[in-house]
Amino acid sequence: MEMIYLIFIIFLGGAGATYLLGKINDILRDIIFLATLLVPSVLFLTQVSIGETVNFTMAGFSFQWGITYFSTIFAYIVLGVGVFAGIYAVKAMKGKKNLNFFFANYLLSIMAMMGILFSRDLVSFFIFWEIMTWTSYLMVVFNGKDVQKVGIKYFIFSAIGAYAMLMAIVTTYSLTGSMMIDSLVAAYPGFDFSMQLLIPILLLIGFGVKSAMMPLHVWAPGAYSHAPMAYTSVFSGALSKMGIYGMVIVMVSLVSHVPEGHWFREIIAWMGGITAVMGTLWAIKQDDAKKLLAYSSVAQLGYIIVGVGIGTPLAMMSGLFLAVMHGLFKGTLFMAVGAIERQTGTTNFTEVTGLIRKMPWTFLASLFAIIALAGIPPLGGFIGKWMLYESLIGSEHYMLVIVIFFSSTAAFLYCYKFLFGFFLGQEEKEWSHVKEAPAMMVVPMLVLAVSTFVLGVFPGLILKPIDAGMQMLGYTSTQGHFWELSVIFNDWGNQVAMQPIVYTIIGIFVFFLAFLTIKGYKETRYVTTKDISSSGEVPKEHENLTFAVNFMQPFFRAVEPLMRRQIDKYYNGFANGLEALFDFTRKIYTGNGQTYALYAIIFAVLLLLFKNNLFG
Amino acid sequence: MESIGYNIMGGIITVIVAFVVGLTYMGLSRKITARIQNRKGPPFYQNFIDIFKLASKTSAINHGFMQHIGPAFMMITSIMSVLIVPVLTGEQWFSNLNFHGDLIFLLYIMVFGPLGMALGAGQTGNPNSAIGVTRGLSQMVGFEIPWVMALVALMMQYHTTSIVDLIKVQQEQGVWLMFSSPFAFIAAVMAMLGMFRYSPFDIVGAPTELASGPVSENGGKYLFTLMSSNSIFAFAKLTLYVDLFLGGAGNIGELLLKTFAIYLIPMLYGTVSPRYRTEQSIKYFWGWPLFFGFLAILQASFF
Repeated sequence: MEMIYLIFIIFLGGAGATYLLGKINDILRDIIFLATLLVPSVLFLTQVSIGETVNFTMAGFSFQWGITYFSTIFAYIVLGVGVFAGIYAVKAMKGKKNLNFFFANYLLSIMAMMGILFSRDLVSFFIFWEIMTWTSYLMVVFNGKDVQKVGIKYFIFSAIGAYAMLMAIVTTYSLTGSMMIDSLVAAYPGFDFSMQLLIPILLLIGFGVKSAMMPLHVWAPGAYSHAPMAYTSVFSGALSKMGIYGMVIVMVSLVSHVPEGHWFREIIAWMGGITAVMGTLWAIKQDDAKKLLAYSSVAQLGYIIVGVGIGTPLAMMSGLFLAVMHGLFKGTLFMAVGAIERQTGTTNFTEVTGLIRKMPWTFLASLFAIIALAGIPPLGGFIGKWMLYESLIGSEHYMLVIVIFFSSTAAFLYCYKFLFGFFLGQEEKEWSHVKEAPAMMVVPMLVLAVSTFVLGVFPGLILKPIDAGMQMLGYTSTQGHFWELSVIFNDWGNQVAMQPIVYTIIGIFVFFLAFLTIKGYKETRYVTTKDISSSGEVPKEHENLTFAVNFMQPFFRAVEPLMRRQIDKYYNGFANGLEALFDFTRKIYTGNGQTYALYAIIFAVLLLLFKNNLFG
Repeated sequence: MESIGYNIMGGIITVIVAFVVGLTYMGLSRKITARIQNRKGPPFYQNFIDIFKLASKTSAINHGFMQHIGPAFMMITSIMSVLIVPVLTGEQWFSNLNFHGDLIFLLYIMVFGPLGMALGAGQTGNPNSAIGVTRGLSQMVGFEIPWVMALVALMMQYHTTSIVDLIKVQQEQGVWLMFSSPFAFIAAVMAMLGMFRYSPFDIVGAPTELASGPVSENGGKYLFTLMSSNSIFAFAKLTLYVDLFLGGAGNIGELLLKTFAIYLIPMLYGTVSPRYRTEQSIKYFWGWPLFFGFLAILQASFF
């Protein structure tokens, strides 16, 4: 049997078995759930050969599934984040209601993402896209809170995206007579200009919704923060990358083959830039960690869109590298928030402080992830950011690079807010009972966090598959030209060599750690956070010295004008307008027979009155 | 193997020079400030006395592991910066890590230490520390924009992101970038005012207001590490400005002369200015410095 079929059968059967076995025994369900995640992953890594395709016909359409070098990159993200978040989920979700449903849904969601990556024809692509949307929607409303507000918003935007995509698919079919992605790519340069414009725009609306591109991002903060954190790791880490996957295909395989495509890509890149800035600013403002990370996801996806939009080899590489990195560090951070929520019951910075000594491992994982997010060397985020800047400078995008720089400098503010808000600051009695999360939750976080470090020192490990994928899309090989195992180059040949840098950093750190620790740490005694010199007075036990409310207030006094407009308000205004229109129609179509009779009589009277004018 | 030994030796000598020069400059600045304010002021070697006193002391307390390693993080940034920035041009001995990192790397490694230190300061639980950190980060968003604009203008005009190459450009042209890219220089110098945190931009430490802010809970060896890291960092930043805009330095005398000339700018500006509030500071950097940054980019793209 073809391995691709087998992977799907395992996912589908596993989802069903998980659901049914859950009614009998919880442990059995967990085992089947993990097995259903792990077995296809192992099969995918060992048994599936890249380039393999299978064909079959159903209901008059011919389907083609296969795996390409390009989709392999994204399959790594999906399976990597999916497996570790799955292990985490088993422990994190323990004791919640409707778990059978959760786990089955989780598996279906992973299956749908793999299906999108395998699809070589537009019909199965669309079907899997819809399964993905539905499963993620069910996860957003899983907790049952604010279903009206958050769930509906996500659903409406997904539906808009899906219809746009469906229109593009139908248009393609009528133009080419084929549903294959390859035939669309082949025929695209021959279309007339309006179709060349229409098809990418429609497809990008569909992909832009999932990758939370401004102005289609408004569903993201609510949806990311309302889904269970175990799933949000996948939602933000992997599922949003499906939008990027589609976007890359549209931008590279379609748009770049026509002369006008250049301007189209500029516009997309600028939308990505604006997404990054606004996402960052709103992230700084949030007091809830989930919301903060959700906005930060929007911002980080903005960077990726910039890289994909610019489309030079270096920019594309940076976009894909950042996509992998974002999966790793944002997965870790959402898991950390989930762990804190489980242990303390809240995720609000103004409520919980000083957890560093109670949850040291969660802190360590968050620290790694935050450093990677901020793009500080020597962790992986830096490689992606560096390549993005260099590609923007090299391709002479003077203003866009400033915009991106502003956004990523401002990102330090929310990075610090996240770490300080949860882990540092005054330790309060209220939280003295908090314990570290169970190992089964901490280990997946740490694995993902440490992998950001490994990929930071040896970026070549992941740049190799990215390079192979880009060659499939038509780029020339960049190995040795833009990157080696641990060295990265820009367009002009300037380099950053990670290995000597990392060794120097470690050397300096160890030396000064020894300097501070020898005859230092052991002899000193730990004092509580109340034992401090606050303006020369020793604060009393009951004095509240926690600093959490209005954390970045001075900054917002400076950037206030930027944040006055909110796209959400325009959408709400539009929705209110629509509602008013519907209300008005309801006044006409009352559903009352007498009213309709009245309308008929009025119509007849009008006819009689004006009959001479009308028929005369 | 021998070359690695030489490299390490060269690196250590660079760091020691940076340490001594940085501390001397700080001492001189105390003296000069005092003379401007019509005081006698401490001797210029006062900082050496202070720092060796601190090094000889043992600490009695700590506030946890993050606070313990915070100063070490700070030291990473300082030493890495001084190793990446070319100290003397054309000198094999002190090439250090010059060829292994470029300007963008430098910009990012410069943030590593302050962030680590900010985490350490956060663990002490002193609210003043955290307030200082948030102010510092906000101010950084302010001055980083004109600073990056100046750098982007240089990088695009000369098609390189390497500091060594930018020095070469100046040597080949025979004119300093300060004169050939004047707007970039002005924007960068205005950004430098924020980078050095002298008044009116001393909102992070803010004496008498925040009680020295993030460093407030550190004493003994911790404070020694932080102070020496600060002086090394100051030297690295000054050398960077000399390399970028003043054509680098061929020997140590030239280096001292040029760096001190640059150092006088934020110091003297500071002696005559009262402290800004945070949002005033940010808005300052988004005013004229931003304008000159735009001019620099226009110059780079059209000429």
